Amino acid sequence: MSPLLVVVALSVVVGFVMVVLFGYTSDQKAIARAKDELKAHLLAVRLYRDQLDVVMGSYGKVLRGTGRYLKLAFKPLLYVIIPITILIVQLDRSLGLKALAVDTPFLLTVRANSPDAMNNISIDLPSEIKADAPPVHVAAENEVVWRLLASKQGSYEVKILADGQSASKTVRISSALARLSPVRLRDHFWERMFLSGEPALPANAGIESISVDYPERNIALGIAGYEMNWIWLFFILSMIAGFVFKELLGIQI
Amino acid sequence: MSRRRATTLLLLATVFAPCLAHAYAGPGAGFAVLSSFWAIFVAFLYSFYALVTWPFRQLFRLIRRRNAYGKAVFQRAVILGFDGMDPELAERFMSEGRLPNLSKLREKGTFSKLRTTFPAISPVAWSTFMTGVNPGKHNIYDFLARDTNNYLPFLSSAEIKGPKRHIKVGKYSIPFGKTEIKGMRKSTPFWHWLGKAGIFSSVIRVPVTFPPEKFDGVLLSGMCVPDLKGSQGTFCLCTTKASGDKFREGGVRVPIERKNGVYQSYVPGPDSPLAQKAGEELRLAYEIRPDKAAQNARITVGSEKFTLKVGEYSEWIPIEFKAGLGFNAHGICRFYLKEISPELEVYVTPVNIDPGHPDLPISHPVTYSIYLAKLNGAFATLGLAEDTWALNEHVLDDDAFLAQAYGNHEDREKMLFDALDKTRQGLCTCVFDTTDRVQHMFWRYLEADHPAAREVPQSQRKEVIQDLYQRMDNLIGRVMQKIDENTLLMVISDHGFKSFARCMNLNAWLHQNGYLALKAGKTESGDWFEDVDWSRTRAYTMGLNGLYLNIKGREKQGIVDPAEAVALKSEIKQKLTGLVDPTNGAVGVTGVFITGNVYRGPYTDNAPDLLVGYGAGYRASWDSVMGKVTALIFEDNVKAWSGDHCVDPRLVPGVLFSSHKFIEDTPAIVDVAPTILKLFGLALPSHFDGKPWDLAPQALSSKIPAATAAT
Repeated sequence: MSPLLVVVALSVVVGFVMVVLFGYTSDQKAIARAKDELKAHLLAVRLYRDQLDVVMGSYGKVLRGTGRYLKLAFKPLLYVIIPITILIVQLDRSLGLKALAVDTPFLLTVRANSPDAMNNISIDLPSEIKADAPPVHVAAENEVVWRLLASKQGSYEVKILADGQSASKTVRISSALARLSPVRLRDHFWERMFLSGEPALPANAGIESISVDYPERNIALGIAGYEMNWIWLFFILSMIAGFVFKELLGIQI
Repeated sequence: MSRRRATTLLLLATVFAPCLAHAYAGPGAGFAVLSSFWAIFVAFLYSFYALVTWPFRQLFRLIRRRNAYGKAVFQRAVILGFDGMDPELAERFMSEGRLPNLSKLREKGTFSKLRTTFPAISPVAWSTFMTGVNPGKHNIYDFLARDTNNYLPFLSSAEIKGPKRHIKVGKYSIPFGKTEIKGMRKSTPFWHWLGKAGIFSSVIRVPVTFPPEKFDGVLLSGMCVPDLKGSQGTFCLCTTKASGDKFREGGVRVPIERKNGVYQSYVPGPDSPLAQKAGEELRLAYEIRPDKAAQNARITVGSEKFTLKVGEYSEWIPIEFKAGLGFNAHGICRFYLKEISPELEVYVTPVNIDPGHPDLPISHPVTYSIYLAKLNGAFATLGLAEDTWALNEHVLDDDAFLAQAYGNHEDREKMLFDALDKTRQGLCTCVFDTTDRVQHMFWRYLEADHPAAREVPQSQRKEVIQDLYQRMDNLIGRVMQKIDENTLLMVISDHGFKSFARCMNLNAWLHQNGYLALKAGKTESGDWFEDVDWSRTRAYTMGLNGLYLNIKGREKQGIVDPAEAVALKSEIKQKLTGLVDPTNGAVGVTGVFITGNVYRGPYTDNAPDLLVGYGAGYRASWDSVMGKVTALIFEDNVKAWSGDHCVDPRLVPGVLFSSHKFIEDTPAIVDVAPTILKLFGLALPSHFDGKPWDLAPQALSSKIPAATAAT
């Protein structure tokens, strides 16, 4: 499916769901009141423009009113932020990165937890993936970097051996939308939650992380060759959808 | 880890953990950030503009007019208009110690009777207040004027005409062009003169300011603003009770029907602007789900849903009448759950023009009503916002009427105090109608034997009017706390009040004395002279105090030779003056005034020929006002509308209180405009009829008396 269509469809659905969620979790009357007061103070600046003290006083009230409005929006935003953050993280694995292409070199980086472990790391590649060059050791970072090349589309497990323990990393070779995990980590609960799509590395493997440099994806808009990061597109489209649905549903944001 | 702690951690992590997603968290966050940024940005731009241009504008003003306040005795004048406040009642309650703030004004400043206009009717008197001229120069003689072509009434203050051009498309007649609103009040309100001199004014709900006129200040129109139907207030009683009765005036009865287990009714709206035939009413359906056990009902009107207990009002509910093709009318109304069992009855206030979305201009600038609605919420915009007809017709009871009236009053107070905050220099004037409406409706409890309250035992009579005066005194106390020695505070009323216990049908008197003739075989006439034989009629009356001759060449079917008019007026005056009510021997008419002797100005031709001054306790009957001829001349007034002021104007002067003492023995409402202009150091226009009052020498150095906290 076209990534553009996926983003458009998702934006509309998310716009709708988020507006409804915001409506249910917010104090709609108080938000409407706060917005009305803001508008009133803005109008006061215009109505009493020759009275400088009123203008300045109204400006101060606009600032205070904005603070009150943001405070009212904070609680429902918290409810909205959790699901949408999780959603965006999940979507970013499919829409933010492109899977690797056949016969295009890519890097696989393994970070060890000590210099000794780094010196004892080896790689076990499936038959469809070959090393394109000898590994490079970056001692300062305890990292070993391989340049690899895939000959066929598919999902493969690359095995890493270190100090007699092994760990694996999924590598996706595809031209279609695919759910990708750019890194596999040991510990780092929050980072794993937001960045990785794979289980934690074994604690005794001597490896901190295994990462694959999937290329970033830009969505083609089909207009004069313009491309855009999916998050920006999602931001704009979901805002538009949200605006439409808030009007239709009579929900104050 | 407890669940709560885990949730908190997850929330914090979601917000602060580094990830791609924290750049954007959905439309909610996007809107919140954009809206608040936009508000601050626009406010900043406005403020910056105001700040940067202020010195230039001040300089421009200085060059053009020199210093606007250079000759002003006061920096600010605050005029509170308490429509109908009566000097005798005020004096009585002050002597009883119930009005401490008014008493302080009396002590330190002025308390006097304020001569009113001929006739003593609000639109007439307030027009004189604002223009400083007699009715012959401002053209307002009553709420109603008569069309000499057909003897039918029209609103004297404003004329509203729909677009002239229409294009027929299928079932629609699409209007092109603007609705034309023409103000009928002539002469210039004094705040226009102030504005020209660079003095800002806030004018709130002064009667006869619709349509609003441009000037340097802000204005919210008052009495005479129509409802969305274009009437002066049409309430609606939705009921399951079958009845063929129609309300005499001011309201309609709408059925509530049960369909699929839900009660349904509708709010009648304005005529459709797209209808090819006039009178095709727009309607807004709504649902009622009564809960007899809980004694409440859930009401759904459009997207608005609310629950009302029996005897409870809703807030102002925004409603929209859709005519089609994008033609919508926006209004607001309040619902009142009157009864739930055995009948289901819902009262709906007249549909007011929505101040936040005005379909007709009700303020200057147009944004002022929007500003007030955004600041304090929706409010009544109808000229006669307190639904006296509904109480007269027993649709509302005393408590429901008072709740409505004081709800409007509280909104008005908020507007006043905002205007006081915003108008540190210049004029701030606000008229409160509550004093008038409550006295009209509750005078019956002041008198032991008022025909409208004979059934009500003394023990059940509330001290409504006393409470009203105390509330107004409390308001004055709060205003006094907001002003300093550089502010002049004036409290005025347009007229006083008297009992309205007996009705007089002047048309019946004219009929019985040979001045008005009925068609053959008729002994009475329906509304608006339905059965009057104009070919034999020499005089007639409609409205509250005016009496007209049927003059040849002026009235379409006139028969009185203009040369005979003077003699006829004198004859009627002589016969009517001192007319005695045979039932009790009281004088029903204490004075008749030939308007040619009372008015001066270019519009005197539009005035009635005679003004009838009823005696205390009397007023034109409800039928007579509507051009009806009855068999009886005098009868009891049994309506809740039991006090009035449309009597001999000499009997009902208004009040004048002020914070600084004026030297004037017989002040009149016509003097207010010239007095204010003089106090601001402006020259008086030569056409003014009023004379400015002088301040007592000690007034200039006196201080505002400290307000007494409300008890």
